[in-house]
Amino acid sequence: MTATLQKKICMLGAFSVGKTSLVKRFVESVFSETYLTTVGVKIDKKTVELSNRIVNLILWDLAGEDDISSLRMSYLRGSAGYVLVADGTRPSTIEVAVSLRRRVEADFGPLPFVLLLNKNDLREEWAIRDEEVEGLRRDGWWVRSTSARTGEGVDDAFGALADRVAH
Amino acid sequence: MSARELPNQRGVGCLADRPIALSTSAADTLEWLVRPFSSDSAIDRKALAGLLAELARNVEPQIGATPSGVRPIDSRLEQLRTLLVGREIEVLSRLSEVIEDPEQLAVAVGRVLPTAIAQASNDAQLGEVLAPALEKATQSSIRSDPRKLLNILYPLIVPAIRKSIGETIDETFQSLNESLKHSLTLRGLRWRWEAWRTGTSFAEVVLKHTLVYQVEHVFLIHAHTGLLISHVAAEDAAGQDPQLVSSMLVAIQDFVRDSFSGAEHQGLDTVRLGELWLWSEPGPFATLVAVIRGNPPEGLHETLRGVLSRIHDERPHALESFDGDSSGFADVEANLRECLLGQRAPESAKRGFPWFVALVGLLLLALAGLGGWQWWQNERAWEHERQLQEAKQRMWDGYVERLRTQPGIMVTEVGRRDDKFVVAGLRDPLAVDPQLLLRQTGIAPASVVSHWEPYQGLDPEFVLKRLQASLDPPPTVTLMVEGDHIVAQGSAASTWIERARTAGRMLPAGGPSLDLSRLHDINEGAIGKLSEAIRSHDIHFNFNESLPAPGQDAILDQLAKELTDLASLASSLDVTARVMLTGHSDDAGNGTFNLSLSLARAEAVRALLKKRGVDPDLLAVRGAGQLEPLETASSEAARSANRRVSFKVGIEEQR
Repeated sequence: MTATLQKKICMLGAFSVGKTSLVKRFVESVFSETYLTTVGVKIDKKTVELSNRIVNLILWDLAGEDDISSLRMSYLRGSAGYVLVADGTRPSTIEVAVSLRRRVEADFGPLPFVLLLNKNDLREEWAIRDEEVEGLRRDGWWVRSTSARTGEGVDDAFGALADRVAH
Repeated sequence: MSARELPNQRGVGCLADRPIALSTSAADTLEWLVRPFSSDSAIDRKALAGLLAELARNVEPQIGATPSGVRPIDSRLEQLRTLLVGREIEVLSRLSEVIEDPEQLAVAVGRVLPTAIAQASNDAQLGEVLAPALEKATQSSIRSDPRKLLNILYPLIVPAIRKSIGETIDETFQSLNESLKHSLTLRGLRWRWEAWRTGTSFAEVVLKHTLVYQVEHVFLIHAHTGLLISHVAAEDAAGQDPQLVSSMLVAIQDFVRDSFSGAEHQGLDTVRLGELWLWSEPGPFATLVAVIRGNPPEGLHETLRGVLSRIHDERPHALESFDGDSSGFADVEANLRECLLGQRAPESAKRGFPWFVALVGLLLLALAGLGGWQWWQNERAWEHERQLQEAKQRMWDGYVERLRTQPGIMVTEVGRRDDKFVVAGLRDPLAVDPQLLLRQTGIAPASVVSHWEPYQGLDPEFVLKRLQASLDPPPTVTLMVEGDHIVAQGSAASTWIERARTAGRMLPAGGPSLDLSRLHDINEGAIGKLSEAIRSHDIHFNFNESLPAPGQDAILDQLAKELTDLASLASSLDVTARVMLTGHSDDAGNGTFNLSLSLARAEAVRALLKKRGVDPDLLAVRGAGQLEPLETASSEAARSANRRVSFKVGIEEQR
């Protein structure tokens, strides 16, 4: 029952992009959300079945910060990869994601990561231009659209990330 | 080395016996060797030409002494050079390439460095030369990342620290031992017994019994990623997903480390939540976290550290390169299980029949029985003693009470001093002897201390006693106590009565008085009258005659009759009557003669009365001479009246 492989994954993103909602709906939660406001991190587990093995993603849900300088970078130590979450209805959150990625890369080098454009269900309010996303993809970003509400794309995103971090 | 050997062995070696300007010294040779050979201009063609000319002369001396017209570029020379030292040039060029390129030189030197150092290690100078550089290197290493050195030193430091801690704990045990040495409670004795039985120190046993705890979870957490390497839990220990818990523990460690400056390289080593403890033992690559319920002993730290250290020793590389795959760490669980220690509460430790407990119990019972019997005996003896004392006390109280009721005894102090009864007070000498009373009570006189001050009591009995002693009353008188008075009854002579009256007046005020009203004077009444009649008679005598004058027989008869009556009356009244016959003379003549004459006259009267039947024992005689005259005048009539015999009657109580 206990998977032999574990990987630490950090969830990063601007304030109220829906990280916690993503996590809440699709992962095994044991800790209360007050940890986010007290310790600044909440830890959850997402078990992903790959073709040959089971990987436990230990998700470190870091408190959402618009001011990335106040992010506790020490929480990223030992991460196998990370998930950037942005709100598809707020373009500024993509900027935050970009600067977060830069910050992480500076401190920890290149790590596998995925950008989740959340709130996919609010298509009519979608404010991100496709060209922008295409630009990111060209830069090697790996972008997925998800909806914490409908669950769309979430399992795929975590599965793909698991595949990448598990080699 | 090879670079230096080459010229000797080959090309230059054959020229050495003929020194030329070209080879001045070995250093120059080497310098020439390392010079870039590609530049032809560096070859001294002139010298070479001279050399060749010399060679030619040796072969054919007729050849001109000097070469002429050396051309700057002569391909033949080059050919010659290649012919002569072509191989060496090739070797040299390779060498020079190595020396010129720092990287290649480093590789080359690195290849021989261990051997070189090994050969030079006997030389003390090597250590001295290397020391400063090593010190600097270490310093800069610590400055840049202290953890590295810590990780290197970890296998050395941990056993040293463990040893030191072990010693400290031993010392603590010893001091604890000392302090508990004299604790002789029942539980203490039981533990002491256990210590003796198991061969451990007493303090250890005490700690064992007082520390009740259970290690419920042990996590081995990878230090870098915070991922769980292995986890074991005690039976029936509840807990959340260990993978999440271990990550959260790491997150909290990070949080504390980030939040409080000065703790960058440390972390939480102890967290307490009510009766739950979290003990964290950090290692270089993995941290051991134990979740303990209860009151764990300090020695548990030692166990945890020991296990962690062993895990590190056995698989340092696997731990360092851990990337989340814990499949290779299945055997670590066995190590972690060693940490699942616990100490149950003593009452739950039921293992077989407790022979020792039973034995000790029986022994205690026997002792208790013996003690109880002795106690009962003591109690009985004590009770007996108490009763004895009480009886004695009762006897004493009775004695004191009797003393208080005794007339003439005033008890002023009663008590006990040491083991003796004490009584003191005033005692009339006429009162009963306290010692006599004491003997009647049965109290040993030796156990009593008495002190009596003498005094005179006014008790009627004592007054009576004293009066009887001082007045010596005649048998006809009875003295007795009547109420507050002492009454004299009966009859007595007036003299005694007078004496008694005086004594009565001398009695102290407030005490009993002497009542003489019921006492009769024996001189009064019939006998008194008779006495008066006898006293009124006188027998007269003529001058110088010792026989009574004539004509007085009738008086003598009358006297005889009265005296006989007196005797019989006295006899009937139980009194003694005495009659004194006193003879007198006148003052004429010699006094001595007159005295004997007067006595003769009294004797004569006595004889005459005897003759008339009067008991002579009743009559006493005496002569008064001329000393007690009836008339003091010097007339003849007075003289005649003074020549006589007078009578005096005395009535006395019979004795």
